[in-house]
Amino acid sequence: MSFRYKSALLSLVSMAAIYAWYFTFLVIHFRTGHPFNPVSHLAGTILLLVFVQIGGHILIAGTSSDKYDAMDERERAFDRRATQVGYYVLIVGAFAAIATLHIGFNGPMVGDAVLFAVIFAECTRQAVFLIAHHRAG
Amino acid sequence: MFPIANNVRAEREARGMTQSELGAAIGLTRQTVAAIEQRHYSPSLEAAFRIARLFGTSVDALFHWEE
Repeated sequence: MSFRYKSALLSLVSMAAIYAWYFTFLVIHFRTGHPFNPVSHLAGTILLLVFVQIGGHILIAGTSSDKYDAMDERERAFDRRATQVGYYVLIVGAFAAIATLHIGFNGPMVGDAVLFAVIFAECTRQAVFLIAHHRAG
Repeated sequence: MFPIANNVRAEREARGMTQSELGAAIGLTRQTVAAIEQRHYSPSLEAAFRIARLFGTSVDALFHWEE
């Protein structure tokens, strides 16, 4: 496995896991009315993701036989394909987030819907990159 | 498998180079060199010329169309 493959895998897994925890907590809050500070919750989530990403990448770089280098033409092709798919997912997600206004979502909830769309699009981008990399052998 | 066959592996091995060394010399990763050799990836024209130049041969001698 190349450094970039491991990096994309780490990004996908850490982002999916950490934001799954964030949104689960959010849904529990909305359903039960359990009090919490949304700003510190979001800030904590972002900080946790940053620490996991930095720590994980240091670990990957230390254990990988490949040295980190700029993307070559094949990896750029994977990245272009992944970004293209991620873009369409983001557009659909943004419209879906706007549509939540019509089902009674208020300001902060629409903000969370937009955040979900962004995270989902980024996870899709990483997943498509990994699939393209895996299929190409 | 891509229809463009190549002699990259034979030429590389004849010069005692590793895939990593070839990749580093022409700005590709080891994985991409492996994919080219296994016909899982067709390199760009620029990369093909770089490989041919490095081996002191022509693109025609390295790559050919195979149905």
